[in-house]
Amino acid sequence: MKNVLIGGIGNVLLGDDGVGPYVVRLLSAQYVFEEGVEIVDLGTPALDLIDQISGRDAVILIDSVNVDEDPGTVLSYRKEEISRLTPQVRMDPHSPALVETLLAAELFGTSPADLLLIGICGQSYEPNCSLSGCVNESLGRVLSEVLGELDRLGVEYKKKPVAEDLDIWWSADPGAQVQSLR
Amino acid sequence: MAKRITIDPITRIEGHLRIDVEVDNNAVSNAWASCTMWRGIEKILRGRDPRDAWLFTQRFCGVCTTVHAMASVRAVEDALKLEVPLNAQYIRNLILIAHALHDHIVHFYQLSALDWVDILQIPKADPDKTAKLAESLSPWTRNSRQEFKAAQDKVKAVAASGQLGIFTNGYWGHPAMRLSSEVNLLAFTHYVQALEYQRKALQVVGILGAKTPHIQNLTVGGVANAIDLDSPSALGMDRLEMIKLLLDEVVTFINQVYFVDVCAVAAMYPDWFKIGSGVRNYLAVPDLPLDSRGTSYDLPGGYVMNGNGGVHPFKTASDKEFRQSVAEDVTHAYYQGERPLHPWVGETEPAFTGWDGDQKYSWVKAPRFQGQPMQVGPLAQVLIGYAQGHPLTRKYADLALSQVSAIGGIHATPDMLHSTLGRHAARAIRAAMLGELAQKHWQLLVDNIAKGDLTVHNPPVFGGEAEGVGTHEAPRGTLSHWVVVKDGKIKNYQAVVPSTWNASPRDRSGAHGPYEASLLRTPIARPEEPLEVLRTVHSFDPCMACACHTFDPSGRQIAKVKVL
Repeated sequence: MKNVLIGGIGNVLLGDDGVGPYVVRLLSAQYVFEEGVEIVDLGTPALDLIDQISGRDAVILIDSVNVDEDPGTVLSYRKEEISRLTPQVRMDPHSPALVETLLAAELFGTSPADLLLIGICGQSYEPNCSLSGCVNESLGRVLSEVLGELDRLGVEYKKKPVAEDLDIWWSADPGAQVQSLR
Repeated sequence: MAKRITIDPITRIEGHLRIDVEVDNNAVSNAWASCTMWRGIEKILRGRDPRDAWLFTQRFCGVCTTVHAMASVRAVEDALKLEVPLNAQYIRNLILIAHALHDHIVHFYQLSALDWVDILQIPKADPDKTAKLAESLSPWTRNSRQEFKAAQDKVKAVAASGQLGIFTNGYWGHPAMRLSSEVNLLAFTHYVQALEYQRKALQVVGILGAKTPHIQNLTVGGVANAIDLDSPSALGMDRLEMIKLLLDEVVTFINQVYFVDVCAVAAMYPDWFKIGSGVRNYLAVPDLPLDSRGTSYDLPGGYVMNGNGGVHPFKTASDKEFRQSVAEDVTHAYYQGERPLHPWVGETEPAFTGWDGDQKYSWVKAPRFQGQPMQVGPLAQVLIGYAQGHPLTRKYADLALSQVSAIGGIHATPDMLHSTLGRHAARAIRAAMLGELAQKHWQLLVDNIAKGDLTVHNPPVFGGEAEGVGTHEAPRGTLSHWVVVKDGKIKNYQAVVPSTWNASPRDRSGAHGPYEASLLRTPIARPEEPLEVLRTVHSFDPCMACACHTFDPSGRQIAKVKVL
């Protein structure tokens, strides 16, 4: 049994930044995974991300990325590419910090053996509770990246015969009450 | 001719704190604090069900999820005049305390210790001497030679690899770094250990909140925890005992390690008790309610004007004077509007014009209390409690001052707390207070359940229009959520967060915000390495960048320190 984290990162209130939390809900609604796989909506973590990735065999993160590509482009980055980046001077101590997190985990000897970041280039990060059209269209590609990585890791999963309801509570019509919690 | 230094960490696309200072004759002569992103998230809440607001506000910030959830339910409860059952108060208090303990530990070790601790001096330290020194300071059982040696080996390996990894970009060897190699090693060893104990504090939040990083157990009117002492699936004795064990371990770390380290580091940098005071108006709200109506609290609140001008206590967490005295000024912020507005009628209409230190230069509004800038945070809370003669505050504040005096061979007085080091000391004092209160509120909860009270929720009833304010004395200071509810829907919502008070720009009268004022006259040894500026800004524990997390793979996330 492998200890695997599939984590969605992003702010669900800022348009396409919510793609990570959206994707982990898609995965949970459509698939069952072997024991040891944990699927987490990480929100916008700071250094507590160290605790989330520490001691795992493998980590798959889904996040929006800031690159000069067309919105909806899906890119992936391996651990080695991320740790090569320079951490920033900490002006604001809560700067979100995948690079710092990974380097800290390496210092403490708890860095996961495998880490893959699947990045989606967003179109809009304005306050808004839905994904833009091009990011929506990229979701199929993101899912196959995740499943492809699980295949590579030898982790088993099965498609559910009937997909469960997607619990995207933040995109509920402003006039309605969020039902999933009641 | 004054030199201008800009520190602007351009990371990803989220909002960030940017600091501009002018340096004249090796000291800061002028300062501007600004935030680089628009936060209009509150607009999303208009028209929504007030019972759901906390789910959304919890997403404002990735570090302070819990505190925004709590302030939100309290705001709606205040609008509805809804009482909160005792069990729910205690459970909420335990969550807030555990979150704060986690936050304070992480702030000191992971986020600011390396402003004072020089990592590259560690290889020179003698682990035996370090162990002897540590033994003289604290009974902590993990102060052994082996622990110190293991931590030193980690640093040696990093230094030998030529790749500093996580330590890249530190101001190592800076003339303002003055600890002995042994103290550097001692503090770094605890930096490593701190990670374990902050995690234990978060586990308490997770057990009570059902989930981290986003708790799921709140409702307007109480909590959703089912209480059944005999059931393993509800909040029963098994879980309560586990919470007790975790809290005890965290409290021991705070008393024997964090508190001691802050006193020791402070004693070795006594000049920093004279630097960084700035705005001497302080504001804190009462917190940790002890009854269902919120009439008595374990943490006192109030305000102090001009340092020692006398303390004005707040009776309740939504005190009338507090409700009436807050307004936000946008003279120097990128928003439309002419005059300061109370949060209930607050507007958030952007009007970006680019950075201009004489005109508009920040996305942060300037909150004012009775028209004055206020400093918030643990220092405010400790000074306000101390001035009121609050026994628990006095107990740990006096202990900290006596430890600093003993270690440093100086005479430390409460007046010295108006400073950069005072903010660190106050946070450690507050952590020790909260540690004691964690154990108290755990016992209150267990005793109340043992009496047979299993109530956790009072149902809300909506109708008509009402205004409410929900406050929380969060790790970074006074947080307030302001809501207007009309016919069961949210009509307006504004959050006035601690870092807005502290990072506020100038107001219409030209008065500096607390960060800005605290930087004036700070000595700067090397303008190209403004370590002294970071020390003071970090002492506030700023949290600006919590909104948006897009990863930037181009490596652009290197802070720009620009010297003009």
